[in-house]
Amino acid sequence: MKDILVIIPAFNEEKNIAGVIERLNEKQPAPDYVIVNDGSTDHTAALCRKNRYHLIDLPVNLGLAGAFQTGMRYAWENGYRYAVQFDGDGQHRAEYIMPMREKMDEGYDIVIASRFEEERKPASFRMLGSNMIELAILMTTGVKIKDPTSGMRMYNRKTIEEFATRINFPPEPDTISWLVKRGAKVAEIQAKMDLRAGGKSYLTPLKAVKYMVQVLTSILFIQNFRGKVT
Amino acid sequence: MSMTFRIILIAASVIATCIVITRIRKSRMQIQNAVFWVLLSLLLIILALFPAIIYFFTSLFGMQSPANLLFLIIIFLLLTKEFSMSMHISGLEEKLKDLTQNIALEREKEFREKENGEKKS
Repeated sequence: MKDILVIIPAFNEEKNIAGVIERLNEKQPAPDYVIVNDGSTDHTAALCRKNRYHLIDLPVNLGLAGAFQTGMRYAWENGYRYAVQFDGDGQHRAEYIMPMREKMDEGYDIVIASRFEEERKPASFRMLGSNMIELAILMTTGVKIKDPTSGMRMYNRKTIEEFATRINFPPEPDTISWLVKRGAKVAEIQAKMDLRAGGKSYLTPLKAVKYMVQVLTSILFIQNFRGKVT
Repeated sequence: MSMTFRIILIAASVIATCIVITRIRKSRMQIQNAVFWVLLSLLLIILALFPAIIYFFTSLFGMQSPANLLFLIIIFLLLTKEFSMSMHISGLEEKLKDLTQNIALEREKEFREKENGEKKS
């Protein structure tokens, strides 16, 4: 398991982070992990140090993309074969890491822990957004990704390098769409996710709309004329 | 709107879109920032191609000329953008200051620890 790095970006997760790490360590052999504290204003960093968790402590807030990229750079520099994007709020389950890895070994570049690989999408406002992104990716790449907004994804070394070294590689659906367009092979495995345990979600209705506009514009327009180097 | 004005509008929005595209191609701009410019140039192209939209709102608001409304819309959009950029720059300056202070304080600490180490030995 030592060739997998679990990257856990954490912003104000003092309520959840201990639970996340404990559950990660329950599995034997436990995977390597790194918490990237994204300039939290609560006691996330202090708690991690006290419990001797493996921590990269960013002195200022970089946002999810910057924090995640820090983890990817660590993975790249330390020679990890696979990296997993994993939430610090407790909604992702460590039990899917091994099945994702098995899928990965079949020769994929990205494996997504998908809520809807086998199960149907419930009809809710949030899932409308998910459907729109799914449709946009299908239209521009011809590939169906059933859960594009799932935040639990595994990347291989080639993809780790791109995330680690390039601009415009946020861990979001439009990047996945771009990678698919460039020929990356993506698979999904069915996974359950939990509701976040404590604290508040950052996704307010206004932010959700802004997110949708950004991601859809990016997938439908910008990714089409994006150069090879970016 | 006169034909000349429409042609200028179309040309300007097409040029703006091209600049945004080349910059992204050369990896000089983040997509989240490019989204605004892509959408704005699309809006301008749409308005230039279908001036009926502007005429409709001009009569709806009881304004003198369509050009006035167009200016008003563009000025409003630019002011909003200017304001959000101002906020954004403040945030960046604050972060830059924090980072610089962090590095300087760390260096001072490192230097002091080294000095203390040398005195003891």
